[in-house]
Amino acid sequence: MQHFKLNRRDFLKATAVAGTMASAGSLLGGSLVPGAEAATTDDTQIIRTNCRSCTADCGVLAHVKNGRVVKLDGDPDFSRSEGALCVKGLSGIQALYHPNRLKYPLKRVGLRGENKWKRISWEQAIDEIAHKLMEIRAKYGAESVFASTGGGGNPNFNGACRFCDTFDTPNWFEPGAAQCYMPRTLIYGMAYGDNKSYQGTDTSLGDSNGVELYFYNERNAKSLVMWGTAPAYSGPSQAGRVLAENRARGLKTVVIDPRFTPDASKADIWLPIRPGTDVALGLSWVRYIIANKLYDKDFLQRWSNLPYLVNTKTKMMLRGKELFKNADDKTFVVWDTKTNSAKPLPFPYDDNLDPALDGTFTINGEEYKTGFQLLKERAEPWTLQAAGKECWLEPKSIEKAILMFAKDAPSSIALGVATDQTPNSTQAAQVTAVLHILMGYFEKPGVLLQRYEDKGVGGLLRTTKLKSFLSEAQLHKRLGSVEHKGMLHWWIAQPTAILEAMTTGKPYKLKAWLERSGNKLGTVANASAWVEGMKNLDLIVHIFLYPTSFSAYSDYLLPATEWLESDFITASLNKCFSRKAVTHLYETANEAWIWAQIAKRCGELGHENCKRSFDKAQTAPESPYYNTYEEQLDHWTSFFGMTWKEYKDKTPFEFTPMERFRRYYVYKEINPKTGKVKGFNTGTGKVEGYMESLIILGRTGQPFTTYPLPPATKDYDPLPYYLKPSESPDNEVGKEYPLVMTNGRLPFWHHTTLRNIPYLREIKPYAELWVHPADAKKYGISQDDWVQIESMRGKIHARALVTEGIAKGVVYMERFWNPENLDTPTHGWQEMNVNVLSKQTAPFNDLCGTYTLRGYQVKISKAKEAPKGIWTEPKQFEPWMPQVSDKTKTVEI
Amino acid sequence: MKKTALVIDLDRCIGCYSCEIACKNENKIDLGVQYNKVFTMGPTGSFPNLEMYYLPAVCQSCKNAPCVEVCPTGASYVDKDGVILVDSKKCIACMSCISACPYGARKFNEKQQYVEKCTMCSHLLNAGDQPACVKVCCAKARFFGDVNDPESKVSKIIKEAGSAARSLPDEGNHPATRYILHDKTAKWQNKKSWTFFENI
Repeated sequence: MQHFKLNRRDFLKATAVAGTMASAGSLLGGSLVPGAEAATTDDTQIIRTNCRSCTADCGVLAHVKNGRVVKLDGDPDFSRSEGALCVKGLSGIQALYHPNRLKYPLKRVGLRGENKWKRISWEQAIDEIAHKLMEIRAKYGAESVFASTGGGGNPNFNGACRFCDTFDTPNWFEPGAAQCYMPRTLIYGMAYGDNKSYQGTDTSLGDSNGVELYFYNERNAKSLVMWGTAPAYSGPSQAGRVLAENRARGLKTVVIDPRFTPDASKADIWLPIRPGTDVALGLSWVRYIIANKLYDKDFLQRWSNLPYLVNTKTKMMLRGKELFKNADDKTFVVWDTKTNSAKPLPFPYDDNLDPALDGTFTINGEEYKTGFQLLKERAEPWTLQAAGKECWLEPKSIEKAILMFAKDAPSSIALGVATDQTPNSTQAAQVTAVLHILMGYFEKPGVLLQRYEDKGVGGLLRTTKLKSFLSEAQLHKRLGSVEHKGMLHWWIAQPTAILEAMTTGKPYKLKAWLERSGNKLGTVANASAWVEGMKNLDLIVHIFLYPTSFSAYSDYLLPATEWLESDFITASLNKCFSRKAVTHLYETANEAWIWAQIAKRCGELGHENCKRSFDKAQTAPESPYYNTYEEQLDHWTSFFGMTWKEYKDKTPFEFTPMERFRRYYVYKEINPKTGKVKGFNTGTGKVEGYMESLIILGRTGQPFTTYPLPPATKDYDPLPYYLKPSESPDNEVGKEYPLVMTNGRLPFWHHTTLRNIPYLREIKPYAELWVHPADAKKYGISQDDWVQIESMRGKIHARALVTEGIAKGVVYMERFWNPENLDTPTHGWQEMNVNVLSKQTAPFNDLCGTYTLRGYQVKISKAKEAPKGIWTEPKQFEPWMPQVSDKTKTVEI
Repeated sequence: MKKTALVIDLDRCIGCYSCEIACKNENKIDLGVQYNKVFTMGPTGSFPNLEMYYLPAVCQSCKNAPCVEVCPTGASYVDKDGVILVDSKKCIACMSCISACPYGARKFNEKQQYVEKCTMCSHLLNAGDQPACVKVCCAKARFFGDVNDPESKVSKIIKEAGSAARSLPDEGNHPATRYILHDKTAKWQNKKSWTFFENI
């Protein structure tokens, strides 16, 4: 057995052979790709680094022997994970040394789908791709080039966006975004405030929020509602583990989830909600809390905009200056119950007034209601009985859950990804934001919504967009985003609109797709439609760690670094850490470098914006592109007055002391500039339960747009409303397809990644369909049977897990694909991929254009056999075990 | 005499499988073999009134270990810490120990032609470290120590748990491993016998 070690010299030697072009020197100049840091001695070196198998960055101690990573331990000093590592992180070695990694840039030589490739040099790949992009731009316009990215441990989430801004195409997308997290960041960012430089700005446990729970020894939180989130599955080494710590110290929990997850099994109350009906449930909570006066009246009067008067015709809040002289921009109007009259309320509040919470008033002949009154009316139909009927829940259990949330205080609602995956996405975020507002659960000890001083470090941890580089004309062309202006928040296009343009050429043709992520065909709704559309593209490039189904349809494959091969800035609470390249294999390169090189070559070929993007003065305040990744790292760490090397050597260090990091009641602090309290970072300075800001967003694109945009076809609703699932057991679709499909994480994978890890696949070799025993009986299915699952869009297979842990009428599947079938006609995405079934068509969420990944209808039947070619027995995964020896050094082109 | 064993708090365990993968990584275990395997117990009851817990199956560290008793060559032995180990050089693959183990916690290694089992990561213990599964545990549900020492952390945990400290069926082999499970989490599922792995 030969231990593999490729040092930087070997790497340059290998690529020098490959490089035949004159520009080879410029591409390979400097330290192009960080070399192995590993010692070349026989001693085992332990290197402190951070995982990136998901987005959580857990601390890792990598044991490196002779340049080879031999062991991964959790880092006890990394405060968010405290030495824990989940199975995704523990798979780092099997991923790094996987025999099927993408090792070199590859160019397609057969037909698309034939999976025939030849190795080419980086310079040839970059040059050919750039030429093709420029050609397409000249012929069809820059907008016909689009890019995409995904989660799956991608540390450069905005890499695709930055490239598109630079190339002056408005079209990049991500299968998450409107379907993952953006509805929550958008709504919490507008209701609670734009709190970029803080931690705790929304309640997503999976996105490094919920900071307060990490101080579990203080026992500040008394209860927690986990709504559509399963931290024991999605983030066991961080949120999952702190939940265990908190529960062990008496935290009471409610879990709202159609699945009986580990967190549900440990909850005091489990509400197995019918998928897609969350807003109906949320409105019943609002109604109950208002009807039973459980809300925090004082907080609402002083710190929320709910007492402000709203014109019932225009839906706009009444400005102080409309009625009163000398009123400033932050003065609104309340109805004072002491004097029974409209009074101006300058920021922040006036103790001489007693603002009415509810009521309808006439001023100068116009009708006004308080935001609170409008909210109350909106929630009025949703009695516990009505919600129980709609959501398939016991009204008594709903009531118990509400009482826990309201009375075991302080509490919070940790909202997960589940509600992001239906057209109700932003409304679900809205209704939960409103519930926090009603209860005053902000910045108190024990609540999730906090402004912990992050000093902007969080903002450093990623590649930034380059919004100023996208021209006005091109912004107007962004697919789907004029109608769904919430997408401006992430500066992103709508997947369905991309698919439409790709397929029909309307409103214009799409011709090139640059994609960086795991398996797009496993994550986009109705995957088959995408494969059809891709036939119309002239160029498809896939940047990733190993080939996936998507690769089979691509023209170029570019190998990206694994997390054990990449450098990056990371942080945990108040401390800075660093991910370090502990080794480096083959010719993999950092994604940030790959995008920069494509931009650079386009610049050389005459793209003005691409040229400018390397000029710091032009990109300021954002980073320019750099020719080497080291320079990019140095740029980021200059924030600390350090080079990357200095930063890396100094980590871990505190960027701010803990006592300054943790602060409560920031809104009550005095702003030295105004002499008034700081309030919240919203238009009114209050938390906004009545979201007039959404109306303004829909009409203008403010506050996210760089240029004025035409209004959406209808005003966005300032209050949460419930949209019934478009496919439902009680409508036409349900007659043919009687069961509701839902989705959700398992601990083994992050998105579509890691399906090729032998130790994980031997535990979960195939997709399971969870089905209630009554439904199983009805459709003739027994435990472990292979089942065919069919929706209006396609059919797939899974193995039956007959369980009481799912409601009657509901079935559950996790996303799955089969890398073992990569080289077959299915390319591994057609066998058990639940997103063959999901729905990419309207209705969409008004703000974000969200389509339906959960809560659509399917039918099931017993299948004769397993899909062809899939591996189900542990020993079948043997070909994927790490390769101990490597032939890199001797590979000839 | 020292008797080290694992104590696993099932009230805490969140079924994340980290112990299973960390064990496989540390001991470079073949596909199809686990020394530590996470079982899902349930859900039991009827929807929506359900209970569920996870049971990580491991060597039960018997005080009166039948696998050691039946071994004809002394390949199976108890080390100074009370850990039950197999000396692969002495193992003649007679499979007696596999039949003798009441829990099926041993496995025949086809490639190497000897019987293998959880070693409590004795190579780590000898270096003053803890078993890999204990170190990695996300929910901090796993503890390892000397159950014969009343002052040890594991002894204190067992004592504090009282009747919630459970053990797998004892047929005179006296398993030392304890699982902590309170009724509030779920009712302990009693089984007359238990086989973790399908062997032979």
